[in-house]
Amino acid sequence: MDNVVVQKLIAIVGEDYVSTRQDVLLAYSTSASMSYDTVLPDAVVLPQSTEQVSEILKVATQYKIPVTPRSGGSSLQGEVIPKEGALVIDLLRLTEIEVFPDLRSVTVGAGINFGKLDKLLNKQDLWLPVYPGSSLTATIAGNVAVNGSGFGSSQFGCIGELVLGLEVVLPNGEIIQTGSEANPNAPGPFLRYAFGPDITGLFIGSLGVFGIITKVSLKIFKRMHHFDYNTYGFNTPQEAEKFVIQCKENEISPVWIAIYEGRILDFFLEMVGEEYGVPKYEWPPITVSMVIGRIREDQLESDRAEAQRICVEEGGHVIGIAELPKGEWDDRMRELARSSYVHGWHWRILYHHVTPSQWHRTIEEMWPLFDEFGVLGHTAGFQSDHSSYNYYPQIFFDPQDAEDESKAKAAHKELVKRLFKTGAVPFKLAPYWVDGITEMEPYLNFLKDLKEAIDPNGIMSPGTIPGIEGED
Amino acid sequence: MVDKKVITELSEIVGEEFVSTKQDILLAYSVSASMASDAVLPGAVVRPVDTEQVSKILQVAARYNIPVTPRSGGSSLQEEVIPEPDGLVIELMRLDKIKLHKELRSVTVGSGVTYGVLEKFLKEHDLFLPVYPESALVCTVAGNVAVNGAGPGSSHFGCTGELVLGVEIVLPDGKIITTGSEANPYSPGPFQRYSFGPDITGLFIGSLGSFGIITKVSMKVFKRHKYYDHNTFGFETHEQAEQFMVDVKQNDINGVFTSLYEGPVLELFMDMIGEELGVPKYEWPFRTVSMTIGRVREDMMRSDAELAKKLCEKHGGHVIGISQLPYQEWNGRLWFFVRACYVHGWHWRTLYHHQTPINAHRSVEEIRDVMEKYGFLGHTAGFASGHSSFNAYPHLYFDPQDPEDEQKIRDAHKELAKTLFKTGAVPFKLAPYWADAIEGMDNYMAFLELVKKTIDPKKLMNPRVLGGL
Amino acid sequence: MTTIDLDELLENLAQCRRCGICRNAVYEDKGFDGVCPVWKNSAGFETSFMRGRIQVALALLDGRLEKTEENAESLFSCTLCGNCTSICAAEFDPAKCLESVREVLNEIPNAVRDTIAKKILENNNPYVDENKTRRDWVKEVGFDIPGTGEVLYFTGCTAGLKLPETAKSTAKVLNAAGVNFAVLEEEPCCGSVMIRTGMVEEAKKNAEKALEMIAKSGAKKIVVTCAGCLKTLREDYSERFGLDVPEVLHMVEYLKPLIESGKLKLKKSSEIKKITWHDPCHLGRALGVYEEPRDILKAIPGVELVEMETNREAAMCCGSGGGLRSYDGNLAKKIASDRIQDAEAIDADILATACPFCEHNLKDGANRIGSKIRVVDILDLISKQLQ
Repeated sequence: MDNVVVQKLIAIVGEDYVSTRQDVLLAYSTSASMSYDTVLPDAVVLPQSTEQVSEILKVATQYKIPVTPRSGGSSLQGEVIPKEGALVIDLLRLTEIEVFPDLRSVTVGAGINFGKLDKLLNKQDLWLPVYPGSSLTATIAGNVAVNGSGFGSSQFGCIGELVLGLEVVLPNGEIIQTGSEANPNAPGPFLRYAFGPDITGLFIGSLGVFGIITKVSLKIFKRMHHFDYNTYGFNTPQEAEKFVIQCKENEISPVWIAIYEGRILDFFLEMVGEEYGVPKYEWPPITVSMVIGRIREDQLESDRAEAQRICVEEGGHVIGIAELPKGEWDDRMRELARSSYVHGWHWRILYHHVTPSQWHRTIEEMWPLFDEFGVLGHTAGFQSDHSSYNYYPQIFFDPQDAEDESKAKAAHKELVKRLFKTGAVPFKLAPYWVDGITEMEPYLNFLKDLKEAIDPNGIMSPGTIPGIEGED
Repeated sequence: MVDKKVITELSEIVGEEFVSTKQDILLAYSVSASMASDAVLPGAVVRPVDTEQVSKILQVAARYNIPVTPRSGGSSLQEEVIPEPDGLVIELMRLDKIKLHKELRSVTVGSGVTYGVLEKFLKEHDLFLPVYPESALVCTVAGNVAVNGAGPGSSHFGCTGELVLGVEIVLPDGKIITTGSEANPYSPGPFQRYSFGPDITGLFIGSLGSFGIITKVSMKVFKRHKYYDHNTFGFETHEQAEQFMVDVKQNDINGVFTSLYEGPVLELFMDMIGEELGVPKYEWPFRTVSMTIGRVREDMMRSDAELAKKLCEKHGGHVIGISQLPYQEWNGRLWFFVRACYVHGWHWRTLYHHQTPINAHRSVEEIRDVMEKYGFLGHTAGFASGHSSFNAYPHLYFDPQDPEDEQKIRDAHKELAKTLFKTGAVPFKLAPYWADAIEGMDNYMAFLELVKKTIDPKKLMNPRVLGGL
Repeated sequence: MTTIDLDELLENLAQCRRCGICRNAVYEDKGFDGVCPVWKNSAGFETSFMRGRIQVALALLDGRLEKTEENAESLFSCTLCGNCTSICAAEFDPAKCLESVREVLNEIPNAVRDTIAKKILENNNPYVDENKTRRDWVKEVGFDIPGTGEVLYFTGCTAGLKLPETAKSTAKVLNAAGVNFAVLEEEPCCGSVMIRTGMVEEAKKNAEKALEMIAKSGAKKIVVTCAGCLKTLREDYSERFGLDVPEVLHMVEYLKPLIESGKLKLKKSSEIKKITWHDPCHLGRALGVYEEPRDILKAIPGVELVEMETNREAAMCCGSGGGLRSYDGNLAKKIASDRIQDAEAIDADILATACPFCEHNLKDGANRIGSKIRVVDILDLISKQLQ
């Protein structure tokens, strides 16, 4: 990188917080995304405030340097792999937290992760009730940028549904605030849909292509202390799917619902069953693992009885093994990471969403494809919103076997295409989705126009949504 | 005057019967339910029947550079559908299809479907779209998404924007896009708004038609509540009442409609329609919270109702126990507000805005100040409208046959928008009069302008809204 | 000259704050499944329902819109059915206001309106040159009907000249109940359509003449089978023109006590199945007569009375009121077809009503869509069930 640029960056953040050292650059050439090619950036900068981010982007714009914002570095789909010669802006020093108890909201800097926020909110008997799989690493701002979901989403929806407003630095360095805080006199974040159109949404799931999120304001809630953990067995996917829909429909408050196919559950429990103290059991063809959470105990009792009634009504039986859902829930800030790594494989993941009524379709597509490509893998997922189900198939490979890895890549690519045809959708347009998408040209062109207007030099997060980028 | 060639082209798209340049018809489209706003005569009105026709119409408008004002129910109160001089009004009431996706807990409606029509349809399936704008019998769901409304039901379910799963949009150049999970042409229907992020659905919520025309909206639907509790809670200070409202939300009480009334305002309401509604005479306290709790299950409703009483007392209030007021507000939700708005004979301007509940008293104070300064009648009330917001709807009364009186109200209204902004209040959307009121939002407005320029480079789509970007 | 206080009318019109509830409100709790039949069955521009009409009226009155036949079209494309009044949230009667606007603005040319008024004034009916033929049906009833008497059956132009079956049925029913009644030798038109279309001065002249003829018959009680005649004779003659009219009853009101007291006995018919009742606007919404005809139908052995989705205060109109059938016959018939479909939706075999305008138009509406539903006047129905 041009020394003039480096000097300008130093002038903004101080010498300690700019680096062009090879070892540092190497560490920023990768992330938690497995089976992605590493790319060396030219420099890394760690700003401390929104104003510094703004100044940095002005420099980047002036010199047309591609920029990759990054915070937790825990993303799995290549979201923060930089472009060659790029400037990585690491946001972990933006660590402010402001709680607004009367507004039932919190504002966090882009460097705050879920674990840290949870500890703070817990002291006030509050929580942000969505915990992504990488809660101890992922920042809330990063999760908004990828629009994630996780434990808690079965009741509270994906993270996007909890956002009340954002502070964003646009590619030209201008700072905008969305939601009710767009009014400089506002007492804090209390309404996302202010000064409509809702431009907050434009940055949710944007993967940083429109600007850098420096602060996020979110809804927070009184913490639940009453939980019911149970498992429900079904003979067919359709019964289990109906059970899930009916639980939602009848106002049960499930903070976690996972549907397991028998063989996947067996595989899963071989890995972590003992760790979570789950007793040995002949699991039925389909098992639903559910955690009901409530603020009040009488509500929980009512939900518990209602869930059991629905289970039986839909042709299932109450298994009664609480350890599985309890293990999942209590370890929610680590469980998904744990179960993803305990087995030793590397894998590519393919987050996608189906409606609960179509839960079986992903399974139907996945197994034959695995056979076809000769790969191992599995899928788990959880109910994630009003009517969606968040799936995350993993395709395993041995990182030391190049052929195996390319097989996994090919299977992954094909699975996208087939899942798209079942009607599955991704939260965000991660690169590998672009090949799988057909018949969406007007949609992509619309985004492309916006991208060109907001980021005319194309410097923001190049490569993360390749489908909307202009010609190089 | 719209060029004859244009009219011919429009006729070819929709059929001669559905294009008009008749003076009386143009006159009828020069106004809406917005009072104290200047009528503006459009040059033509067209009534398409489907999305494809809307697309073709927009292509014609783009070719001839004709400004376009989309309109459906025509019930908006803040000049959202007042056309441009000699512009084209596209009236969408003929897009009246409804498709239920029962397993997806969602429904897709054409932009001509009103809440009343949809309510009847969903009721047959024991479902509801649980946010009812005050003009529910007139306004369309799509129109309400375009203005991002709220109403009874919002106290629990949030504003309309929170229930949207996706929209079908005709862009200013005539291209059609669908957002949300339905962007995937193989999708079984609407089930996830946050698909193929960034979330572009949001861009059209509260957009007032300035980025394109919403031709369909997909919404979350829910099983109908069967069990209700209606109660009124009295408080001697505004802090008590406001904290009670926050605590109700915080403790997971399903208040589907939680209104907050100032004593004198409630007296005024009750003078007008108390008898009609069968609300007994009562010395209403300084603040009254009127709440309907709704639940699918009876035990949950009872639990909520008990806790609400406890919280009321905890905050220093007393349970009034008059159920008729909240009962009528909720059970008459398709009608009550329209009635209350028109029964008294005044014309009025409204100034919808949102505060956080603990700031509700600030709106009351500002409105009272403006009323005193300008010397007119009016009132304000409001309701909890989401996670932490409070939707206030002040009315400023005037006599339509007295132009001086009307001008006074216009001035007062303008000033009130400014003073409310300073209290931290926000509007759902940038209705025309907000443009003057906002200060310190230059970057935000510049960004909106950039988006507008990108999507609608010719500035043809409802140019008068969003502060005339 | 008009009988209207213009200031009061303007004040009333100002009550409309353009909320639009009069267009297509679907409000189950109050029985509404749509409001304006014209909006629903026409091209549906804003001027096709009351909100737009009021805007046009105001603009014509204050000169913003030139007073031309074309600009006033929407004022006449209305059945004045009053469904908008039923649902209006403000404190005024929009349908009545529109009727007044037609009167105030009756200088605006309108050939259809003028022709009807002219014919009525010249011929005592809007249909034919030779008014005397309207008593021809009397020859077919099999007994004599005098021209004078205490109970006068005022046939009405439409029953007399277009649907004489109803007149004959009425005579048979009255006869069976042992009622001595008269029919005028040369019956005039009540003038309803003149009032509805704004020719109120002419209507007043006509009313004075008509009342004189009625008075000559010695009538103490007038019975009618036309909802339009009922409203006009009972309400408009006294309220508008200050005339002193004998008691006026629709036959459904007159018959109900006779049936209930057993004076008129009805037998069972194997043919009758499911019957629905169409509320004529002038009988129902205008005068509140909803239950009498239903009670009569229920009193017929073997009848199952079924209600259409919209009924009573929220009933959809047949399409022929307010002069619309003359002004825009196609539209009127489309509206009628729509109403027939309401009856089809509940599988009714027979749609009964008590207004020859409704009957005539609904029959056309049924033919238009090839419906098998039989549209009958309630008197025709009763006459077939006489013991």
